[in-house]
Amino acid sequence: MPIDTTLIGDMYRRMSIARAIEQIVEKHTRKARISGWWHPGEGQEAVGVGASAALNGEDYLWYQGRGCAWAIGKGMQPGPILGDVLGKVSGATGGKGGGVPHWADYSLGIMGEGATLGSVYPLAAGSAFASKLRKDGRVSLANFGDGTASRGTFHETMVHAATWKLPLIYLCENNELLVGTKLTDVCPTADIADFAKGYGIPGIIVDGQDAVAVYEATLEAAARARAGEGPTLIEAKTTRVQGHYAGDPQNYRAKDALANYRDPLAVLAERMAVDEVETIAAEALALVQAAYEETLAAPPPDHSIIFKDLYYGQ
Amino acid sequence: MANNDKMETMLYNAAMGLGLAEEMRTNPDIFVLGQGVASGGWFGAEKGLADEFGSDRVVDCGICEAFEVGMAAGASVVGMTPVINLGFADFSLIAGDEIYHKLGKWRYMHGLNVPMSAVIILPVGVMGGAGPEHSNSIEVLGMHFPGLKVVVPSNAADAKGLMKAALREPNPVLYHSIQTLSFTRGEVPLDSDYIVEIGKGIVRRPGRDATLLTYGSMVNRSLEAATTLANEGIEVEIIDLRSLVPLDWELILESVNRTHRALVVHEANKTAGPGAEIAAQIQERAFYELETPILRVAGKDVPLPQQNDLEQACIPSVDEIVAAGRHIMSL
Repeated sequence: MPIDTTLIGDMYRRMSIARAIEQIVEKHTRKARISGWWHPGEGQEAVGVGASAALNGEDYLWYQGRGCAWAIGKGMQPGPILGDVLGKVSGATGGKGGGVPHWADYSLGIMGEGATLGSVYPLAAGSAFASKLRKDGRVSLANFGDGTASRGTFHETMVHAATWKLPLIYLCENNELLVGTKLTDVCPTADIADFAKGYGIPGIIVDGQDAVAVYEATLEAAARARAGEGPTLIEAKTTRVQGHYAGDPQNYRAKDALANYRDPLAVLAERMAVDEVETIAAEALALVQAAYEETLAAPPPDHSIIFKDLYYGQ
Repeated sequence: MANNDKMETMLYNAAMGLGLAEEMRTNPDIFVLGQGVASGGWFGAEKGLADEFGSDRVVDCGICEAFEVGMAAGASVVGMTPVINLGFADFSLIAGDEIYHKLGKWRYMHGLNVPMSAVIILPVGVMGGAGPEHSNSIEVLGMHFPGLKVVVPSNAADAKGLMKAALREPNPVLYHSIQTLSFTRGEVPLDSDYIVEIGKGIVRRPGRDATLLTYGSMVNRSLEAATTLANEGIEVEIIDLRSLVPLDWELILESVNRTHRALVVHEANKTAGPGAEIAAQIQERAFYELETPILRVAGKDVPLPQQNDLEQACIPSVDEIVAAGRHIMSL
């Protein structure tokens, strides 16, 4: 069945917004210091947006901290995202945030990010376990990078999730780099999807530059999860265009590292009319520019929030 | 469905299990996960739970503490009340990220003021030859890292009452059951609303001469020491703290301001143990009320030997507590 053109337009819109945020934050960090470090997601937008498009609003997303495509894909607006990056009260965390994202909005199923990288596996199993008990039909998705597939909890969690047939999706963004280390220097396989065999679950490799491919694989995994057939491991092969953090000189990377890079926006645009592409891109840029200006004008947090939310009701 | 004033003599761990079962009957969001819990638990705390609540809610897992607690954190975020029994508190170090970052910080760092209920059962202390990796008293970690509540029940009734309070608490609770008390018996209220409020200590024995602050395994030894000291004319007030986070400062200061002497007694290592923090705060809050330095009687700063006699030599004995009582009165 051919994919709905409205959905393609919507994915392009969200990817354009994510890209515009990338560019504006990159520009901002060149002239001003932000709290913490922004980890650019340029080049990887098709993964978060494509996968999120295949989830329902109430499905649970536990994401990793590169870029903002997952948050945009799952419905967060640029304002709360930029607010956190710039440390303003308008941020999703209300002013505690910085360059490493802790955006969450439970009404959108955006459950948050663990900055000890690769730490959301068991948390996603927790929400998936809750869904299984409650029979609420929700799917939980744990998003992670290839570097954290070597974490112990990757294995601990999937051993149980596969045994219990939890409605869980593991979605790996494989950009072949752990900060500056090549994946294959520290991992016996270049394909994280290979690990699925041991758990007896499907291990699917998709083109992470193609939002439609990611969308379709995630849709199928979500259907399996909802049908009680258990977890799926999806590996999206993608490319990290920028450094590990904004300003990273990337001395570890070959000069021609991006020779075969395919921009996910261009890949998706091939499925669209030229004027639609231009209109959506211009609107996204304007939306993000306006959000950026509002963020610059927003106040920084008052110190009184330092103890806020430490305990419930505080 | 209160059972009014009826009491029953039962094991400490059975009382903990009773509190859990009662809450599971009224709260379908509670589930139990751990190694061996489906067959009643290593130490009997989960006896009968799988039969009553089914294997969906009382679930065995592999040997994977990080998964257990991380899964609890995720389930808690979506409104469940997970109960994880780690078997030995020592193993919680394997789940350090999950306890202290995820359970303790998730709400704070995402800026969403939502309830996060979870009870992590951490059996602490010596139990007779369990060795240096199965005998630690590491409850101080829950005091050091923000965002968690910490309880330390010293008898069967409190084991039930604090379990019930923990299950109704909208914050994660580190529930330290006391290994050496697991198979001791006590009178337990059968009232299904019997709660021991988190953050409230209790005077176990009143006294005019010195305030002895303790909890967990050292409550009984301190009471025994107090009897000996009373025969010598020294009346020590014994306070069972019951919670370490939050501490009951109203109770502590009322007593210290009256006796003007304070001792802290615990099984945990002395250096940077709970007593260090409690002593520091007493002198900050009540220095000019004190007649003497604050004394600590605590575990030796060594890995606990397996050999039974050596093991006991590493934690405070009744005689050591008596000696400390005499000493503080001589200063």
